[in-house]
Amino acid sequence: MRPNVFRPQSLQEACSLLEEHEEALVYGGGTALQILLKQGILVGSSFIDISGIPGLAEISFTDDFLRVGPMVTLRRMERSEEIRELFSLASSAYAKVANPRVRNTATVGGNIAHGDYRLDPPVALLVLGASVELTSRNSIRKVPLEEFFVDFQVTDISAGEIVTAVEIPRSIHIVGSSFVKLSSLSANDWPSASAAVGLMENDNGVHTLRLALGALAATPVMATVDIRNLNLDQTLEASLSKAMELMDPIADVRGSVKYKLRLGRVAVEEAIRSAWKEVPNGR
Amino acid sequence: MNMVFQINGRDVGIEVSDSELLLDTLRHIGFSSVREGCGVGACGSCTVLVDGKSVSSCLVLTSRCNGSSILTSEGLADDDPVVSQFIKNGAAQCGYCIPGFVMMVSELLSENPIPTEQEIYNHLEGNICRCGSYPEIVQAAMDASKAKQTSKLTC
Amino acid sequence: MGGDLTNLEIENDAAAVGQSWQRSDLEAKVRGTFRYTADLPVPRCLYLGVHRASQPHARILNIDISSALEMPGVVRVVTGADLFGIYGELIYTGPAFADQPPIAIDKVRYVGEPIAVVVATDLITARAAADEVYVEYGELPAVLDVDDAISGSDYVHEHLRPSSVFSDLKHLQGRGETNVNYEYNLTSGDVEKAKANSDKTVSGEFWCPPTSHVAIELFSTTAWVEGNRLEVVTTTQTPSYVRQALASMLDIRLNQVRVRTQPLGGGFGSKMYDRLEPLVAAISWTYKLAVKLEITREETFVLTTRHGVAVSSQMSADSIGMIVSAEADVRYDTGAYADIGPRIASKSGMVACGPYKVANARVRSRCIYTNKTSAGPFRGFGVPQVTWSHESLVDELAREFGEDPAQFRRKNLLREGDVAPMGTVMHSADFVGCMDAVTSAIGWNTPLERARGPWRWGRGVAVGIKAVLTPTISNAVLQLNQDASATLLISTVDMGQGSDTIMAQIVAEILCLGPDQVRVVNPDTDITPYDTITAGSRSTYHTGNAVKKVAERMREKLISIAAQLLGVSETDCKLTNGGVVASSSQKYLSIDEIMQLHFGAIGTTLTTESNFTTEWIPYDKETGQSVKVTEHWFAGAAAVELGVDTRTGRIHIAHLAVAGDVGRAINPALVKQQLEGGAIMGLGHALFDEIVMDHGQMINGTLLDYQLPSVKDLPDRLTPIIIENPHQTGPFGAKGVGETAIIPIAPSIANAVRDAIGIRFTRLPLTPERLLMAMAGEGD
Repeated sequence: MRPNVFRPQSLQEACSLLEEHEEALVYGGGTALQILLKQGILVGSSFIDISGIPGLAEISFTDDFLRVGPMVTLRRMERSEEIRELFSLASSAYAKVANPRVRNTATVGGNIAHGDYRLDPPVALLVLGASVELTSRNSIRKVPLEEFFVDFQVTDISAGEIVTAVEIPRSIHIVGSSFVKLSSLSANDWPSASAAVGLMENDNGVHTLRLALGALAATPVMATVDIRNLNLDQTLEASLSKAMELMDPIADVRGSVKYKLRLGRVAVEEAIRSAWKEVPNGR
Repeated sequence: MNMVFQINGRDVGIEVSDSELLLDTLRHIGFSSVREGCGVGACGSCTVLVDGKSVSSCLVLTSRCNGSSILTSEGLADDDPVVSQFIKNGAAQCGYCIPGFVMMVSELLSENPIPTEQEIYNHLEGNICRCGSYPEIVQAAMDASKAKQTSKLTC
Repeated sequence: MGGDLTNLEIENDAAAVGQSWQRSDLEAKVRGTFRYTADLPVPRCLYLGVHRASQPHARILNIDISSALEMPGVVRVVTGADLFGIYGELIYTGPAFADQPPIAIDKVRYVGEPIAVVVATDLITARAAADEVYVEYGELPAVLDVDDAISGSDYVHEHLRPSSVFSDLKHLQGRGETNVNYEYNLTSGDVEKAKANSDKTVSGEFWCPPTSHVAIELFSTTAWVEGNRLEVVTTTQTPSYVRQALASMLDIRLNQVRVRTQPLGGGFGSKMYDRLEPLVAAISWTYKLAVKLEITREETFVLTTRHGVAVSSQMSADSIGMIVSAEADVRYDTGAYADIGPRIASKSGMVACGPYKVANARVRSRCIYTNKTSAGPFRGFGVPQVTWSHESLVDELAREFGEDPAQFRRKNLLREGDVAPMGTVMHSADFVGCMDAVTSAIGWNTPLERARGPWRWGRGVAVGIKAVLTPTISNAVLQLNQDASATLLISTVDMGQGSDTIMAQIVAEILCLGPDQVRVVNPDTDITPYDTITAGSRSTYHTGNAVKKVAERMREKLISIAAQLLGVSETDCKLTNGGVVASSSQKYLSIDEIMQLHFGAIGTTLTTESNFTTEWIPYDKETGQSVKVTEHWFAGAAAVELGVDTRTGRIHIAHLAVAGDVGRAINPALVKQQLEGGAIMGLGHALFDEIVMDHGQMINGTLLDYQLPSVKDLPDRLTPIIIENPHQTGPFGAKGVGETAIIPIAPSIANAVRDAIGIRFTRLPLTPERLLMAMAGEGD
């Protein structure tokens, strides 16, 4: 049956509606919801369309953060010059989602809230140390993205909460990064493995490798690797062994567990090699 | 709800149900260049531009387009260079998916007037031409870019 | 009236045939104003929603339609029992076997089979109400594997029900306790002896999975009753067949059924025979309702597929590398209903040994029921699946001899006058020319740097052979209008191949007309004459010949009238641009003048009609032999240079060249597009395009999961090559090209992979996983 659509004009109103209608889903870009509706996975839900709420589609910079409103489209993230300058890893991951039409429609908030383990942006955002702002009628809380993805298609969003921002800290100083997406069927397919890598630097040089994986476990996963005094080969070895601990792939039409484990290693290695090249003067 | 939007430059006021999809609305009022091929945003046959941005109209609520300006391939100018170059290159077989490609190329050239071949591929990778007219489509996109540059110079 | 020749431009300087005329409907297609079938005006309709089976094989114990009926907007709910109650056995239809009910009657035979159909005031209600139908199943053992279907004791049908269309299937009537609905056998020479005396033998177990056509235009059928007539507007490649099928089912006269279609948004074999039409027509006719059925992409995946095919095959050669024997055991998984599967099994079985001179051959090709979506025709008509076997085998055989695979083929390929394994003499099919063209295009003999970092590079070639559909019938009616424009009436369906354009070119060539002067009328069984089908690459040759003939008759008719008017003999007259000239007197009359003088009116028309029918000699039931099994052959070849990424198993194609012998290209640009398009579709089949099933349920049945080639999957270079080896009886030497390119693609890629990494793959598609696991020694 056709869903009801509510169109709140304020965040407060949206939160109240969410409390009143337990079954209601927040409608951001709607790409995922429309697909789930057609596939009969969502039946008879109400939608709360948050596009009429002012201020949710803004990209802003503070001294500490890049703050992205939930209604910012993926394509704006891909194309924003400022974001490309400061967080090229995010730009490149957003640019890899589906196709330009979906990216023109789908939103940053919905993409995170969807919680799909194969999505590209969360992998990059994990490496960038992003957090998610969740707003309900009585509270606002901030959840580090590392804690946000709980299980297969399950996030930390509680009943009554709306994603109101994604924040990327400016304090994590990344000097080299790369996002690698490997598909197993057609070139435009979902990934069978993806990896994002960021190399963190302080005054003493590169010290930490941040690594996140997509499509290789029930949720996007991440780890940090201490790479002080390690050369590229040693870094690869240390990171790959960490990556193997993170990987717990799900078999599907895009490949078996064994295959995805192999592909995951390739994605990690490729991302590290490519990020490594971005570090000025080598190490 | 009652809503007003512009389609191909003309104001249209209609009543739509809450959950109506833009694809159904546009087809219902006669824009048959907008076609369902997959219903899940994967084939591109229902592509239209909303405020200059390509969308899969099968995934977009009509109500969200209140006040927007929508362009379908029927609304392109008679001498539109993208249309002309698709014709010149014979870039169609069965033709069903072609308006979607035309709209994607139009969007691309408005954002990036001189795309590389790779940029064309990146922009069109989510459109399926099952007849496989891709070589002619890519050539048409490149030629349209050139034609647009030339017409700019002569203006 | 009249004129002097010297003042008139009469030479037909721009000949039509051989020119790349712009597709007649191109501009409308690009602008989006072109109307497809679903865009045609029809009466106000009720909409149909289909409740489909969730079990692959089960008795229908109960259908609860009460909650569906209660929904506002629902007019009625129709079940198979309702229709069977009215039409009895007539409700079963199908081109080879009358085995398929439009709605399941007592049991379901595949997941997705219609069980109940909701008639409602709008589409959304119809579909929602269809979800509210509840079915109680009595589960039956499902037959899901083609080899289990042969050896097991569970049967999809209680007995075989051959249709009346093919008389040679009659003897199968009533046969029970089998899932094999047809078996074709070919024998020639003495295979055992030849094998024993041979030097080397290779063998393989090959598999091609079922695939989906995915024509982007979705299926749509609308039917309504006008007086005592049924009007049907539908997406079909076979309007003449559909008219007959519906008339037979409803037991009404042919002139009580009108079937119309617009040019299709792709067909590839999917929109053929009995698709939505029997269901929609039965409901419309029975309840006197105007009804429309439009199905979703998800529903098209369970409507029809390409056959999954298993082939066990062997090939042997003597000490000098000449092939002496070939064998193939071919099993076509035809799913729950036979459709045209039995014909596919025989027509592909007869070429299962490949385009080679093989004196000793043995083929057994069976069409087998399973509890899956019914498989039907798909571009290539089963031949790409057997080509996968013979082109892999012959490559291995060449390698056994340490010979260049192209050179090895060249020695063995059929040439003009050779007798093919099924006993028919080869003519007008240039296999060697096609192969030489593609190998030369990719630089077959140039050095190749085989190892580049993690990449391994290789080259491969494959050759294909296919018979044109024979016997078939085409008719044409031509109307010449007084203003020298022409209206051509044929029932060939343009589905992107460009038949409307090339048929216009043939008329224009004969009647000295220009591009805008010939209009081709869309198929309408009230108006356009019978045509067997638009399929099997048959139209350019069959319809093309009928059209050439009808135009020639028009030319004769016009000349005969003009000769009388000019007072000269017919042999003195010549048709030129826009009129007829007498050679002796140089007197000239325009077409307008001729018709004005002839009829004494304006706006008049002249009409001619023609028929073109091909004949065959049916193959012997025991040996499969026939001296004329087909009217002619298609020859095609592909060569490829590719790299395999040894880290990921991914294939990167640098260059794919494909050639087809088209006799003569009536429109080279359109021929080139057919070659490219076939190659790209074949590339999908080679690399990732497949239906994945789990317990009889398709698990990748949306376009999010089902993979098709996009622009990013193209080879770096794609080279289509037209080989013109004029066909003796083709219109201007032409024959078809719709299937030629797709046939050799998959084996050419597999042969290149073999060349690159030394591994022979026998199962399609060549996914990165399959390659990677095989390189790791963990292959399937």
